[in-house]
Parts: sequence; structure tokens; C-alpha cells
Amino acid sequence: MASLQFGKLSTCQYGDPPSEQNKVLQDLVKPHVESFNYFLEDGLSLAVQNIPPVRFALPNGERITLSYKDASIGYPSVAKGNVYAKEHKVYPAECRGRGCTYGAPLNVHIQWSSSSGQGDIQEKCLGNIPIMVKSSHCNLHQLKPSELIRRKEEAEEMGGYFIINGIEKVVRMLVVPRRNYPLALCRDKWKSRGKFYTKYGISMNCVSLDQSRSNLVLHYLDNSTAILSIIITKRIFFVPVMLIIKGLVDVNDQQIYKDFVRGREKDTFFVGCILGMLRDLQQLKVTNKRAALEYLGESFKVRLNLPEWCSNEEAGQYLFDRHICIHLKNNREKYECLVLMIRKLFSLVRGNCSEENPDSTMNHETLLPGHLYQSVLKEKMTGLLVKLRTMIEKTAKTGKEPDITGLMKKCLRSPLYVSRQMEYFLATGNLVSPTGLGLLQTAGFAVVADKLNFMRYLSHFRCLHRGSFFVEMRSTTARKLLPEAWGFLCPVHTPDGTPCGLLNHLTASCQVTTFQPKTDGLVQTLHSLGMVALDEPFITEEDCYEVVLDGRVIGILPKDGADIVVANLRVLKSKGEQGIPKTLEITLIPITGKTTQYPGLFLFTSPARLIRPVTNLMTGEDELVGTMEQVYLDIAVTPKEAIPEVTTHMEKSEDSILSVAASLTPFSDFNQSPRNMYQCQMGKQTMGTPSHVLPYRIDHKMYQLQTVQSPVVRPKSYDTVDMDNYPLGTNAIVAVISYTGYDMEDAMVLNKSSVERGFAHGQIYTTEIADLQQHRKGPYRNEIIYTFGCDPTDPRAKGKLDSDGLPPPGTILEPSDPLYGYIEISTGQKLFGKYKGSEKGIVSSVKVVGNDLGTEVSQKAYIQLKIQRNPSIGDKFSSRHGQKGVCSLKCPQPDMPFTESGMTPDIIFNPHGFPSRMTIGMMIESMAGKSACLHGLCHDATPFTFSEKNTAIEYFGKCLTEAGYNYYGTETMYSGTSGVELEAEIFIGVVYYQRLRHMVSDKFQQVRSTGPIDLLTHQPVKGRKRAGGIRFGEMERDSLLAHGTSFLLHDRLMNCSDKSLTRVCKKCGSLLGISLETPLADYSVSERMLGVDQRKWTCAICDTSKELEVIYVPYVFRYLVAELCAMNVKTVLKVK
Amino acid sequence: METPNPAATPKEGQPSSSKAIIYVCGECRQDNEMRPRDPIRCRECGYRIMYKKRTKRVVVFDGR
Repeated sequence: MASLQFGKLSTCQYGDPPSEQNKVLQDLVKPHVESFNYFLEDGLSLAVQNIPPVRFALPNGERITLSYKDASIGYPSVAKGNVYAKEHKVYPAECRGRGCTYGAPLNVHIQWSSSSGQGDIQEKCLGNIPIMVKSSHCNLHQLKPSELIRRKEEAEEMGGYFIINGIEKVVRMLVVPRRNYPLALCRDKWKSRGKFYTKYGISMNCVSLDQSRSNLVLHYLDNSTAILSIIITKRIFFVPVMLIIKGLVDVNDQQIYKDFVRGREKDTFFVGCILGMLRDLQQLKVTNKRAALEYLGESFKVRLNLPEWCSNEEAGQYLFDRHICIHLKNNREKYECLVLMIRKLFSLVRGNCSEENPDSTMNHETLLPGHLYQSVLKEKMTGLLVKLRTMIEKTAKTGKEPDITGLMKKCLRSPLYVSRQMEYFLATGNLVSPTGLGLLQTAGFAVVADKLNFMRYLSHFRCLHRGSFFVEMRSTTARKLLPEAWGFLCPVHTPDGTPCGLLNHLTASCQVTTFQPKTDGLVQTLHSLGMVALDEPFITEEDCYEVVLDGRVIGILPKDGADIVVANLRVLKSKGEQGIPKTLEITLIPITGKTTQYPGLFLFTSPARLIRPVTNLMTGEDELVGTMEQVYLDIAVTPKEAIPEVTTHMEKSEDSILSVAASLTPFSDFNQSPRNMYQCQMGKQTMGTPSHVLPYRIDHKMYQLQTVQSPVVRPKSYDTVDMDNYPLGTNAIVAVISYTGYDMEDAMVLNKSSVERGFAHGQIYTTEIADLQQHRKGPYRNEIIYTFGCDPTDPRAKGKLDSDGLPPPGTILEPSDPLYGYIEISTGQKLFGKYKGSEKGIVSSVKVVGNDLGTEVSQKAYIQLKIQRNPSIGDKFSSRHGQKGVCSLKCPQPDMPFTESGMTPDIIFNPHGFPSRMTIGMMIESMAGKSACLHGLCHDATPFTFSEKNTAIEYFGKCLTEAGYNYYGTETMYSGTSGVELEAEIFIGVVYYQRLRHMVSDKFQQVRSTGPIDLLTHQPVKGRKRAGGIRFGEMERDSLLAHGTSFLLHDRLMNCSDKSLTRVCKKCGSLLGISLETPLADYSVSERMLGVDQRKWTCAICDTSKELEVIYVPYVFRYLVAELCAMNVKTVLKVK
Repeated sequence: METPNPAATPKEGQPSSSKAIIYVCGECRQDNEMRPRDPIRCRECGYRIMYKKRTKRVVVFDGR
């Protein structure tokens, strides 16, 4: 069959690492690493420069100014006092292995000056702050695979995470509103902000160069004015916008009026509003810039924490610099920006432009780890200056250091650290911040980068969370999949349940901009293309577009010819010529005369935007398009659907809408769509190959599949991301047949002999920590009072421990065996730590770790155990098509059905799994897998390669006939038990099966008849950890009733629950009035023990002891009666 | 700066005490004989993680 094209199984040079790392994989974590590199290279110094100096007066009247001069971050290295270390670089593997933090020193220069002219600069180390692995300050930066392996890393290590106390933490990418773009919004909630407030507003998320965020909202009021709301340290302030306008520029009202109504002279409403607002200012007697600044400064001075001697004018300018349009540098630009916002606001109110959707990807960007880290660090460093100030003030008050230089030196010598706070932020993901950083949430910023398998690990770096604020929101608008997300967010890869639609994943080709390129060339090019600067005299009757670059109004463009300008710009962009950055986003929102988005030419070069490559049909080159730009572009998916003269771009491939995890599903275009979503979830819970450096890691749990294989049917992306390095399944012979009756309801039968030959064998690696510090208590916490060690002949050691108190690798540990032995130094008492696991484990590695200085006596050891987990009944398996099943029987091979050639399947899959799930992809995979095995090759399973005319069945059917098999992949089979030929032809083929990590042995050791009970109700407690029971709930009760086995209910709900014996008074029917006689004085304990207790029970209400009856009631019933009694409700039992 | 502790370096020819256990350095793979209360570091390179050697004892594994 020459016409058929076959792929080859990948030929890996195992044991021979490649000379370069896989670029595709590295690019997947680029947003993380590059944003952190930005922080290290530019961001840190920008942030430090922007930290406002702390100014205060000493008791003697001296004024002090404290500020940071600069800051720099070093490289991770061993502690200074360590004289033993030969290699001074610290590598991530050591931090993982020792359970410490991978960090580098942060050095700053603190400058101080006083009003008397003294001053100095002092260098200070603020501690080791966590460093992202593989960032430019990581010691692994740009290492080759072979060198990485030498450093005990994966050959394809991608970095992008932090190591905090030995745990890998990823800072999640979050969705935040697009920066520096005025967004037209209608929110009913705004009406409640005050009198005259309406639902109309323009919101703008201003982000300064150093990635600080602040949100401005311009409100429209029913009295035809506009008010700007500013948030200063979590408090919201409302300022008439005209007051700010007036304070920003020193021009007369005539000029301001002209700037506002340019091109809108005919709009009488707008003209009226502007005039009205200007008139209001006159009434306030604010007639010039100075007056406006005075007014604002006076109102805000205290809130801005400015010193007393600061003038009101200065305070007003400070307000502008720190809180108004912080993305712009000078007052003129801020003025132009506010003018644009006001024009857009009134356009929205008049219905000339429509409101925008804040939930649309088009109006979003991402909060990148590096940027967040920078903002947090900036804030912590700001806090440090304040701390230093209080310290200086306190010391000055004591009056011990009358000399200022001496005082400052003394205070600056004291330890100041930000490392702890940064570690806390990454370890918990909680943000402790006085300003809130302009974000909606304070927790959940960092997550553990689980290394369960490669698919899950990769997904951590590609996920984009909408924010925990939206998880609790009842409306579902934020969860909707909008067409704007096409090509940026994967429609398949989102979990179902609570996070559905909020936790999205970037598509494989989607990138995030991380750097702010220079824009001088761009502005020049725009001028040469016909843009008119704002200060140039320009008179035209026709409509104009405002040209806005990153929230800065840079000029206007006549309506005619604007599309040609844009087309030219786009060509220059895709070629990267004339200093135009390739990441530029060009959004021309055309004037159509209809109610659309506010028209204008919006250009973005800012970082944190989502971009993706498409082919520009004009230049034939790749162009990176942004989310807002894409809405106004005509992008065809295939050449066939391109419309001449309209289509300008084309997708690079049809599966470019899929994320990495989703593109690994073979033939996903044949499946019903939810099945592909399930596979994305299940693929992430599969046992596979977690890591290549298991012995050097101390993860709590690592699931490993023993017999992994490379799938014979796989999509292209499987090879591009080198999944062969981390395979997560086995090619299994699957017969689709209803055979034993053990395969009903998604159960599946495994071939026992296959299992015995190693099919789906696996193990869990767990690490037990032997930490002697934990045993120290109270005043001895900082002393070494224990040391590892034991007498190997001690019977308590069971011969499993060496004289150093640790088991050697290879030792088999049973539950409650000694795990380690230790000796109390002062008494010589020998003690043992027990292995607390419930399963047999084999010690696979033991490591003892020292401290940073290499001086500490052994106090901590990590004992890695291997726990065998071979398939057992109840374990979960799944194919790659969202078809999960539980193993219900390990059928002996002789009893399995066999084909004519004598082959028995590994797995029996029930045919009833197909009709309702409609996973045709699995059937095709079965045929393709069979033919791939027969021909000894591997088939491409990329979605969208087959079509109605060129069907997959035809192709693989032919492949099968070529090998001498049935076209449809069916075979005659014989019953294994009787040997009789089965009437139906059985569909049998090869399907790649995954073993999921959910295993019975983790779940159902939970059998109890007696056990711990709740104190209050005497009912069994819940939870596997506490040896609790499993709830026999209402539905289970219904089921027993329906079966007519109601007496069983008595057993479940009474005998096995909270059965209790009590006495009831037949006369009054009370449970509560009954008490036991008080013992007599001469009543001895021994008598009681002998059971000669002759005391009487009496009902205090009826004063009788004859009418009492012993009954069985649930204990909670007694509790209920007591509770009712407390509420004055009497309970009477009618006892016969 | 202090100098490396001479007591920590093994003396040639001296028979190792029965209490000493051999550990392997995680960095340079050097065998290190360590007694209880020795600080955890490689004598060769000063690395701070040491691995225990696999047991030579016969471990009976019940293969059922």
C-alpha cells in the first residue's frame, strides 16, 4: 500500500541527552520565566526608584528623608559562613532535597539625608528572596541538557516555579482587566454610590511602568457632571473630574473647552455638560491650576501620609503622580487621557457607543508571576522604610544617640528582612497588603506544582484563572465561553464543577508578552503615515480617530485613509521593520454610524497581553495578534473558507484552538465534546512517569507506572512536546464485548495473566521525614538534645535499623515497624520513630541532610519508600477518550475469549459504553492501533486531518485489510469457558490505556462495625483518616425500603449507629425525670465492682420506681429530647 | 574564618569503628565514613546531603 503514508515511532537516543532543550516545551513556560526575568533585569530597579521616600521629623526638629537608592539581586549561593563547600553555587536540586528555599540575596542601598545637610548611603542585605528556577538569576540558566542532568535536574527542565521549603510553587496566572484602556461599563451597583449617580462609567486599570496597578472609574451623574473615583489604600474617594483637569494643565477654560468638544461641536448635550462642569469650577472659585492643586492638596494631604511641611500644592501634584493615570509620565498626557475618558463617557451616556463586556477575553490581560512578585516586593520594601522610620523615632526618643549620623548608623545596622514575607507569600499564596495591589483577591496566588505526571505538570504553567472572586459569584456570565477567546483559551480544557469556565488554559500556541518594547520608532512611523499630533493646528470637518498608544493619546487620524494607514502599519509589524515591535496590537475600531465600541485607533505594546501567531496573507509571514485586535480581523481557518479581498489572515493549523493537554487526545474531532473535556481532567490524574530524578526529590507522593509505553496512535503534538520522555499509559489489546457480566456499568475485566506479566504495574514513592527537631519541646527547642542512632540488636529495632538509627535502602518496612531510632544525648535513652503507613513499603533511598553551614549534627533524614501498587479489583483505568472504568475482575487467561490466532485481550470493554458516550474517536483509535501494530509503525491521530470525503474508517480499514484483517477491525472469537464460537464478530483492537491514580487501597480500608464515635450524638464519625464510617444516607434508606428489607434499616441506623439503653417512665412518658438513687455513705467501691449495686432508679416526676421500663433508643433521640426540653417543649413517650 | 575541623577528616590506616556507617555524597559520589554526631557534610566537597548505601544483608522478599 504505497499510497498510505505512515509515521515512524520516535527514535529516541535514550541515555544520550540532546544537545539543546526542546524549544516548544521551553516556550510553554515562557510567560512565567520571562516575566520574572523582566523583574530581575528592569522591573526591580524601576520599582525601587518608584518607592516614595519616607520623610519625617525627629523630636529635635530635624527632618529626615529615607529612600532606596538602588537594589540588586545576586545568585543562589551557600551561606557566607560555610567554609567547607567547594562549590559555592546552590542548585535547585539541593533545595528540593533539603527542604529549603531557593533564594538569592537582595542587596539595597538605603540613602538618608537630614535637613541639617548630613546624609549617607548604606548598603544592606534584605535577606535571601525566592528566585524562580531557570530565570536569568538561577544557576540553571541556559544550561545544556547534559549539564542539567549533572545538576540532578530533568534534561528538559523548564523552570517557571519557586522552591519554598523544598516544595515547588507556581504563581498562577490571573485574569485582570486590560491595562490602560478606558472600558465603557454599565453597572447598576454604581447607582447606590450616591445622589445622582447612574449606572454609566468608564473604568480604567492604570498600570505604571513598574507594574503597580490602580483603578480609576469615571462616573456619570444625572446632573450632567462626571466624577472620578480614586482608590487610595483601599479607600475610595470621589473627585469632580474637572477639578483634576484644571489642576493638570495651566490653560484657560476656552482651551479646555476646545480640547473637549473637538469634532463634536454639534452635540449640544455634550457641549452643555462641559460648559456646566466648567461653570461649577468657577463657583468653587477654582480658576487656575494653582487653585485646583491647593484645593486637592488640602483635601488629600493627610490621606496621602505627607509630612506637615509639605505644601498643599506639592500634595496636589503628589496625588496626580501617584494616583491619577499612573501609566503616564507628565501632566499633559494625563490631561489628554482624562479628556478621552470624558468624551467616551458622554458618548456612552448618549448611546453613541455601546458598553463593553468586562468578562470578555478581549478586555483582559494576565497578571504574570514576575509582575506580581515585583509588586509584592515593592510593597514589602516600602513597608520596610516605614518600619525603619518607627525604629529611628523610637531610638531618637530615648535620646541615647544625640548625633544623627550615629543614630542612623545604629538603626541601619539592625536586621531588616523581606525574605520571610516573600517566602510566606509564595508558600501560602496569601497576599498581606495595605493597598491590595489593585487586585480583587487576597489569597490563592500560588499553588503547588504537582508532579503527578507530565500533562498535569505542564497544565499548571498554562492555566489562567479568572480570580477567586468569581468562584463565589452566583451569576454565570464570567464562566461563558465567548467567541473572543478563540485561539487564546482552550474551549476543551476546563474542569467541570465549581471552577468550570473560570479555570481556563492557554492554547498551545498562545503566548504572553512580557517586556515593554520601545515605542519611539512607532510614534515616528505613525506621524510619517499621516497621524496628526494633538498640538498641531488641524482643522477638518470630517470625523477623526483618536490614536491611543498604551493609554496615551498621541494624535488624531482622519477617517479617510485610516484603514490604509493600519494596513501599512500591519505590514511593517509582521516584518518587524522601522522599529515597530512584533508584539504590537493594532485595533482600529471603525466609525460606522452604528452603536459599536468607541471608535479609535488603539495601539498596545504593553506586557501581559495574550498574543498568538497567525499567518498574514499579505506578507506571508507570521503575525502575532492580540485579543482585542483579533475581533476586528478577518482570519480564515482553512484556505477554502478564505474570502478574497476580505480575509487578511489565516490560522496556522486547525487544531491551534487546543491547549497542550487537549491536543494530546487522539482523534478528538470524532468524539462528543464533553468526553474530550473529561479526558483533559483524567489525563491529569494518570499514573505515569512523574520525574526522572526521583531519588533526589522528597515529594510526599509520587505515582509511577512501571510498564509505560509510547502510544502507537498519537497526535502530532505528542511529539512536539516530547511526551515520550514522560509516557503515561500502555497500549492494550481491547475487545469490545459483553462477556462475563463483570463488565456492566463501566466496569472492565482485566486479563489476569496480562497483569501478572506486568500490565499496568505501578508504585507509589512516598517520603517519610525523620525530624528530630520535632521531638524537641519547650525550652529546649533550640538545643540539640537528640541524635540519630540505635543498637541494631535491640529487639525493638526488629533488625531493620543500622547503628546510625536509619534503615538501609532495600529494607522492607511493615506497618508500625521502626522507621528510625534516636538517642537522647543527656540520658542515653533509646527511642524509636514508627512507620505510620498502612501498607508495606520498601526503603528506596535514605538521605541525611545538614544545614547551610555544614556544621549541624544529623537532625533530619528523608526516607523514601516504595509502595507496590499493582492492579487490583477496584482500580480505575481509562482510555484517552473520557471512557473511565473500574476493574471488576481479573479473569484468568483460559477463561478469556480468544481469536482465531489464539490471542486473548488484555481488557474487555463493555459495548454499552459506546452508544450514549459517542466516543467514535476511541473506536477509530482501536482500528488505527491495531493496524499500527500489524504494520509496525505509528499512526498520526491529529484532529481535523480526516474529512467526509477522506474518512478515517476508509483509511484504517484499508490498512487492516492490507495486513490481512477484517476491514472494520472485527474478528471471530471463541468463548474461553466453553470454546464455542461466538455468534457476533468482535471488535478488537489496540487502545492506549491510562491507569488513574485513584486506587481502592487508598479508599476502602474503611470498614467498621465499631470505632470512634461523636461525643455529642454517639454516632460514628466521618472521614477515612479518623477510621470513621461511611454514611448510610437517605437514598440508601430508600433503596432498602424499596427492597422490602426494612429490618436491615434497623441494623444500619440503630444497631450499628447510636443504639443506647435508657429508662422511660410509663406513667408520665418522660425520659428526663429519671435518676439513680444517690449512693449511701457506707457504700464502698468494691461493692459496686462486685455488681451488688442495689440502688433504685426513680422517676422524679411521678416519684415512683415501679413504672419504669427499659427501652432502646438512638442516642441522638435522648439529645433531641433534652434540646426540646430546653426550649420548653415536653416530649411524652407512650410506652405500653 | 575558621579552618576545617581536623577531627572530621579520617586518619589513614585507622580501623573504622563499628559505629561508623558509610554514606555517599550527593554531589561528588565520594564515600564518607560517618560516626554519630559528625556534622552532615562531605569531607571532599562540603555538600550537605548524604545518601545511605544499599544494604548488603539478604532481604527475604515473599513474592506471593
